[in-house]
Amino acid sequence: MEPAWSVALISLRHVRTLVAIPLALWIAAAQGLPAPKPITVSAAVSLTDALTAVAEAYGREGLGSVRLNFGASNVLARQIVAGAPVDVFISADEAQMDVVAAAGMLKEGTRVAIVHNQLAIVVPTDRPRTFRGISDLTNPAIKRIAIGDPAAVPAGVYAKQYLEKEGLWDAVSARIVPAGSVRAALTAVESGAADAAIVYRTDARIALRATVAWVVPFDRGPRIVYPAAVVRTTALPTESARFLDFVRGAAAARIFERFGFR
Amino acid sequence: MDAWRIAWFTVLCATGATLIVLPPAVVIAWLLARRTFPGRAVVETIVSLPLVMPPVATGLILLMLLSRRGPIGRVLERFGIDVVFTWKAVVLAMALMGLPLLVRTALAGFEQVNVRYERVAATLGASPARIFLTISLPLAWPSVLAGAVLAFARGLGEFGATIVVAGSIPGATRTLAVAIYGYTETGRDSDALVLLLISVAIAFAALWSAHRLVERRPA
Repeated sequence: MEPAWSVALISLRHVRTLVAIPLALWIAAAQGLPAPKPITVSAAVSLTDALTAVAEAYGREGLGSVRLNFGASNVLARQIVAGAPVDVFISADEAQMDVVAAAGMLKEGTRVAIVHNQLAIVVPTDRPRTFRGISDLTNPAIKRIAIGDPAAVPAGVYAKQYLEKEGLWDAVSARIVPAGSVRAALTAVESGAADAAIVYRTDARIALRATVAWVVPFDRGPRIVYPAAVVRTTALPTESARFLDFVRGAAAARIFERFGFR
Repeated sequence: MDAWRIAWFTVLCATGATLIVLPPAVVIAWLLARRTFPGRAVVETIVSLPLVMPPVATGLILLMLLSRRGPIGRVLERFGIDVVFTWKAVVLAMALMGLPLLVRTALAGFEQVNVRYERVAATLGASPARIFLTISLPLAWPSVLAGAVLAFARGLGEFGATIVVAGSIPGATRTLAVAIYGYTETGRDSDALVLLLISVAIAFAALWSAHRLVERRPA
């Protein structure tokens, strides 16, 4: 009969093997692939889904790992100016990128435009209509038009700019409802509180209870650009530049397109 | 599931923040209730500041102090400690935002303790520390506990300071409140709703159990 201690010994050996194999694999993996330090990318919250997919593709190609930090562009800009450890900044508008540039926090020559967006007019799904042009907004049946607050929200700034350019601002301004964010403008339509809203095409796509009445054509609407740049204080300039190249590349463009960007 | 991981992370951070802030808050509350010292009003005001200031401003101040170029961050970096954009920043933001709630509630508790008990103990030769631990603290305990629960609940809902100093990094610094914001901004309303229900359930459980704990003690 096996003495009890030998059973214990065997199980101890098992334990050792169980520990040793993953440990050996881990050491081998650690030596075989130099695990690159992740870069921190601060990006506009509207890019959350698209950029997460882009960063995953980047990782799958073995180019490096990315830590994504999402927020309102103005908050992200202030974080960088205050010295937050960020390597790459992707803003929803040029104005916030300018704030970081003015503080001397951008690496020279790295600022690029990565994606474009368009304005779209949405209406509640239960009262669908199709616009033939922006002037359909003057239709008296549309009593309230929600846009982002033109004093602060980039989407609202773009919407006002566009209405002014088309000479419609004075005609509709009494019916404009300024909202705290572009999502709030969309929600106003989805809840039926507003009869129409001017939002980004990318927001309109994912809305559940609002449908697109009209998309402002690229050549007529304001130039809506998401700029990106490497932060001057980065400890990983090569990795940051590599990621920015990837974000501008063809593979990333296909992903952005899938999420409604162009 | 992602929602449960976010919830667990938030509860851990809020618990850590409450435990960190509890000892100093109780001492400050006791000093404010029992001692007159120069600058007392200043201390009381400074402690209440996080309650008054916009949370984003509190977060920005923390960020400037703790960033690699900041006065505290520079020292910490020498020891290889990174705070900004990590869970440590989440805990710190929650602790700071909970501090005034805990101090003010505990202060009210200490003020209700009859000074005569403490004086009698002192005439019988008890040291100030012993008086504090055996008389003042046990008698003020329900208030201290209520303050701790308030601080914990404040931590659960903390958003403004957290998103500035800790960011919204999925899998690293995303708390319930920050994730709810992220989900609503990207049109994932049903995901946001799930997190919201979880937050409500946790807050309810915390407040209810604190209520039970206080009730069980004889008045």
